[in-house]
Amino acid sequence: MNTIWALAKIVVLEMVRRKDFYVLFILTVLLTGTAGSVNLFNDNSIVRYLKEICLLLIWAASLVIAITCTARQIPAEREQRTIFPLLAKPVTRAQFLLGKFLGCWVATGMALLVFYVFFGIVSASREQHWPVLNYLQAGLLHWLMLAIVIALTLLGSIVFAAPSSNGTICFVCTAGILLLGRHLNKVALGLTEPLQSLLYGVYFAIPHLELFDVRDLITHNWDLIPWGMMVLATLYAAAYTAFFLTAAWLIFRRRPLN
Amino acid sequence: METLTIDNLRVEYRSRAVGEPVKTAVKGLNLRVAQGEVFGFLGPNGAGKTSTMNVLLGFVPPTSGTARLFGVDVREPIARQRIGYLPEQTYYYKFLTAEELLRFYAEIFQIPKAERSQRIDAVLKLVELDHARTRQIKTYSKGMQQRAGLAQSLINNPDLLILDEPTSGLDPIGRMKVREIIQRLKSEGKTVFFSSHELGEVETVCDRIAILHQGELKTEGRVSDLLREHGTNLEQIFLKIIGHPPPP
Amino acid sequence: MNPAPALLAALALATALATGGRLLAWQTERAQDAGSVFDLLLGESRRAFAVHAFLKADAYYHSGFYPSVFDLAQQADNSKTHLQESIKSAGAEHHDHDHDAKPAKARDWLEAFGSHFFPSQHRHLEKFGDEREILPWLRLAAELDPHRIETYTVAAFWLRDRLNKVNDAEQFLREGLRANPQSYEILYELGRLYAENNRDVPRARAVLELAVERWLKQEAPKADPDKLGYGQILAQLADLEERAGNLDRALAHFARLKQVSPAPETVQKRIDELLARQGRPR
Repeated sequence: MNTIWALAKIVVLEMVRRKDFYVLFILTVLLTGTAGSVNLFNDNSIVRYLKEICLLLIWAASLVIAITCTARQIPAEREQRTIFPLLAKPVTRAQFLLGKFLGCWVATGMALLVFYVFFGIVSASREQHWPVLNYLQAGLLHWLMLAIVIALTLLGSIVFAAPSSNGTICFVCTAGILLLGRHLNKVALGLTEPLQSLLYGVYFAIPHLELFDVRDLITHNWDLIPWGMMVLATLYAAAYTAFFLTAAWLIFRRRPLN
Repeated sequence: METLTIDNLRVEYRSRAVGEPVKTAVKGLNLRVAQGEVFGFLGPNGAGKTSTMNVLLGFVPPTSGTARLFGVDVREPIARQRIGYLPEQTYYYKFLTAEELLRFYAEIFQIPKAERSQRIDAVLKLVELDHARTRQIKTYSKGMQQRAGLAQSLINNPDLLILDEPTSGLDPIGRMKVREIIQRLKSEGKTVFFSSHELGEVETVCDRIAILHQGELKTEGRVSDLLREHGTNLEQIFLKIIGHPPPP
Repeated sequence: MNPAPALLAALALATALATGGRLLAWQTERAQDAGSVFDLLLGESRRAFAVHAFLKADAYYHSGFYPSVFDLAQQADNSKTHLQESIKSAGAEHHDHDHDAKPAKARDWLEAFGSHFFPSQHRHLEKFGDEREILPWLRLAAELDPHRIETYTVAAFWLRDRLNKVNDAEQFLREGLRANPQSYEILYELGRLYAENNRDVPRARAVLELAVERWLKQEAPKADPDKLGYGQILAQLADLEERAGNLDRALAHFARLKQVSPAPETVQKRIDELLARQGRPR
């Protein structure tokens, strides 16, 4: 575990020293500020659109951070050849992958924390209340979703050599699942066999990332999600994350590095 | 006791392209390196040196045969607990400072916390980077980066040091420094296994050498014995063994 | 010194300036015609975005609950949003339209599980003043497509009826009227505002009569005219005249309304009432 944590710390340090996060955060602040400064029928208490825009920007920024940060990890290690002195140490390939995963996940978690605090400030400035538990649930689910995305991207970075192609594919898959994942069963109903069964199979096989997207609940001040459901969502995310990491390890463990 | 043992090692690379033949990099290599030896691993480009080193470091699995470090199969990560490795070029996280880099590798080796700072100080002093320890590696000169690399390879006080072209691209002072460190490790009873094209240097520091050509071991022995046997310098011996016509 | 290169350079500069000036003028002309930066950025696709913004307002009205296009595809009638229904049924409670407050039955375990993570119950904005939350999307819809009439009428309804922002509603309707000068719908909504909120009978009458005129000009020649819209204008006019004590004019409007109303007997009842008040035989 020490080795994994040591590897993770390097990834976190890299993100802290790179400018990606700062640029995205400033962009989020600026765009939210601009949206908030629009005069809407002389009413300053309108807040939900601002919450929605802010959350949308946070989601987009978090996906950019998670995917780009993860997609470059292994290719950059190989391209800059830092992987050689590292794996010449008593580090297993599994530890290497887990360290990279943990680092990316913790780094995006830290970024999310900053983003959600900003969101809380924006929301509280107009709504005059701060439903911390709801925000905690939203942030936690968001972070769990990113675990799946990071594991998927890590697997992609082993399959596809170029970080750009891997990043693009992961973006398309993630966005596709977020937008359409929930509706595949309805689409399947309108198809004939064997397409119907095939699409139903896809529907049950893909990780339903949209389950973790509770922006509408937060924007419109819905009640807390039952904690039992939160536990189930955590298990769901853990299962998919483990699956992708295992697949990545199976491919990577015997792959020659030269 | 033998530090490094290679038995019937064969390394093949299969191309992903259809119809491409299998490339054999190493053909049935047998090698023994004893504790406390400075061993020079020589050969022209494409001889199979790097492939052998890649197997020893666990980067490439052997196609057949075995390689062991301290009696442990190289496929086990624990085999690398007592080794230090310096690659030909400096490949380190350039956003880290030398101190952070060493602390990271110290954690990987699970050096106890109490010892870490002490060990880092000692290694940085040894490679004369103490004054630049808090600067990011990307700001270092090539020589300084190479010394940072040497420092990371020594952080765990290794019993076996594997050096890949350690003096490549260094200025004369840098080379002298590397030679000094090798001598010092030898005097401490450590084993050094290194590849080099600098035959004069090999002649100076090595106890024994092996010359590899086209994946096969052509000769192996004590440097002094080879020099006596052939009655010439190492460069001439090398050229003769690989079948290259000597310069006029 | 050979003057040819200097002349050539001067000619090139003059051409560049002339072309640049012409392009700038053309661009300004286009921008004025479109009236929005969105036209330059999005082109014709802004209309699709406007529809999306309008639907978003409807979703906000339902606290984020909104059927997806896939759900809508399975429903028979999806032509009107609830926001539009609201102003059509103004005066009556919005809750009377046909929908089930209970979540739909899940098709599989994933759907059942997922229903905990997004708004899955039909719910309306309940707290007084919360309706203001739909306004940004209506404003955006108007910016994206200034020729979408419903945006102005719906926004004005909520502004004046639920948020007590009569001046803002009037201003927004006037904006709509500038972009759509022939719209009888906007004139009708403006007439309602003058009649119901400002109690300004002469202005309300003028605007509503203009609405009738526009309707007759645009809709009457059509094979399938918007009779409901016409009926609403006439009903509003009749009520206005009745309240103002001009019973003859009110009777005339009711008589026209009877011809287009889907419930002529109800209109006839009102006519009879008015005649009774006048003491004239039915």
